[in-house]
Amino acid sequence: MTTRTVQVPIHFYTISRFITRFLTYLVLIATVIVSLYPVVMMVINSFKIRSEIFRNPAGLPEHWTLYNYINISNFHSGLLQNFLNSLVISLTSSLIAVILCALGAYAFAKYRFKGRELLFALLLGTMMIPGEIIIPGQYIIFAKMGWLNTLRVQILPGSVSVFGLFFIRQYMLTIPDELIEAAWVDGAGHFTTFWEIMLPASMPALGAYAIMHFMGMWNNYLWPMMVATKKEFQPIVVVLPQLVDTQIGFVPEWGLIMAGCVLSTLPIIMVFLAFQDWFLRSVVIGAVKG
Amino acid sequence: MTASSAVQQRITVPKVKKSWKREKLVPYLFISPFILAFLLLFLGPALYALIVSFFRYAGYGSMTFIGLYNYFATLQYRLFWMGLRNTVFYWIFHDIPMMTIAFGLALIVSNKYIAFKRFFKPMIYLPQLVTGVASALIFSSFFGLEYGVLNRLLGMRIPWLIDVNYARWAVVILLVWHGVGYWFIVYLAGLTSINPEIIEASIVDGANSLQRLIFVIFPLMRNTLIFAFVMDAIGSLRIFTEPNVLMAQRGGMAPYEIAPVINVMFSSLGAGRFGQAAAVGWIMFLITMGASWAQFQIFNRLAKE
Repeated sequence: MTTRTVQVPIHFYTISRFITRFLTYLVLIATVIVSLYPVVMMVINSFKIRSEIFRNPAGLPEHWTLYNYINISNFHSGLLQNFLNSLVISLTSSLIAVILCALGAYAFAKYRFKGRELLFALLLGTMMIPGEIIIPGQYIIFAKMGWLNTLRVQILPGSVSVFGLFFIRQYMLTIPDELIEAAWVDGAGHFTTFWEIMLPASMPALGAYAIMHFMGMWNNYLWPMMVATKKEFQPIVVVLPQLVDTQIGFVPEWGLIMAGCVLSTLPIIMVFLAFQDWFLRSVVIGAVKG
Repeated sequence: MTASSAVQQRITVPKVKKSWKREKLVPYLFISPFILAFLLLFLGPALYALIVSFFRYAGYGSMTFIGLYNYFATLQYRLFWMGLRNTVFYWIFHDIPMMTIAFGLALIVSNKYIAFKRFFKPMIYLPQLVTGVASALIFSSFFGLEYGVLNRLLGMRIPWLIDVNYARWAVVILLVWHGVGYWFIVYLAGLTSINPEIIEASIVDGANSLQRLIFVIFPLMRNTLIFAFVMDAIGSLRIFTEPNVLMAQRGGMAPYEIAPVINVMFSSLGAGRFGQAAAVGWIMFLITMGASWAQFQIFNRLAKE
């Protein structure tokens, strides 16, 4: 910070500022080490053979091995299948959610119709209900429909989000009506206007929400654990903890588990690297989520 | 939009076609997929859970109306209170350090004299990119008695995951590590949106950094802070993954001494006590409402002082 005081000799400030700055960077670097260390160990330990992890849990591998990654694909009918399940569930659900929300948000943002305010207020009111609370109701209904142990029971219940509707509507409100007006004058129909004008114009909001939704679905643990009890339908995050206590013998095979953890984290890291700005924006808007 | 263009549109557009804004049926067509999905997937199950909570129901056969019995039974259930106590423990003891660290880091990184922001920001956020299950498993390997990194580092033999009194704190450590990055980004966004002139003005007025924090930054960040604390309280009620996966080595679920309240719902459902599971859900809903309301009150009172 700029200092406006003059009576203190300048060298005092230079030294104290240097120390402050030094300590500040020290704190930041320490934080980075703490955040980074577990992630780095996850990656490093995934390249160690089983016997080495216990001898040397914290260092670099003495023998780098791809054994764990090869084992992933043929272990217990294949973790790879569970990884693909996760991808299918999260991607499909994000797509459905974005389309449903965008359609609804467009009507709420740009059309005037009877009951608009009331309907919107009622929807917002339900945002205070945490999703976990309706799990018993959802579980009984889907169990009766015979949907347990399917992918669709893991996709659909998460795919309707009032928060998404609200967030995308807020963004669409900022898009000028003239844009729609122009398309309308050019003879475009309602749906064409939505599809070709409104959707591209709301991309920043749609992208940020899609990322948020994807993250939520990918990390979802409780619901899939309840509705998918057969291994071939489980997403990867449900299978990984089972590896800890179903190993032969008493000691879990950490190398394999860490490789699975890397696999379960990889898609999120890739999305992050590709869309870092959207991603961090989705965090900020997500904080408003109920 | 300028006044003249507004007038122009009002005149020219209806000549070409009927105004799109006044269309009667079309908006309902646009919202109907969402509303339909909402009714089928959210509101329907929610109301169904409410109804079921007044019945004894095992998923098959007949439903017996038993009034508020499920609610009373839950409130007398020892494991429910234990779960609630554990959840509150996790909430308080992870919330305070996590929020303090996140806010402190955001203050530091938002300072315009700090270089390498493009490096620090994603690095501090990094733990959020690791799935909850994966981070719990990594920490579960760190907390091992003989081979765990943490005990080797400390040169001790702390039974982190064996003694429940330590396991509680292991869960808290994991929650803090995983959560800081999220709130850091939220606070950073709030702090960078503060008009720099206000800060400059307070410096000219001779405020030191502590005064600036208390009298300038906190009031400006008030809404963000209220939101963060209320949201984290609601989020904490849902804690499930961390304790259970951390203790997965002991056979799947966390032992009841450290199990969060959601575990009660989970095991009721698993045991086919659907009425009780639904009652637990609605009791948790009431607790959430109460906790958010109380926090809003507290913060409003604090802000007025």
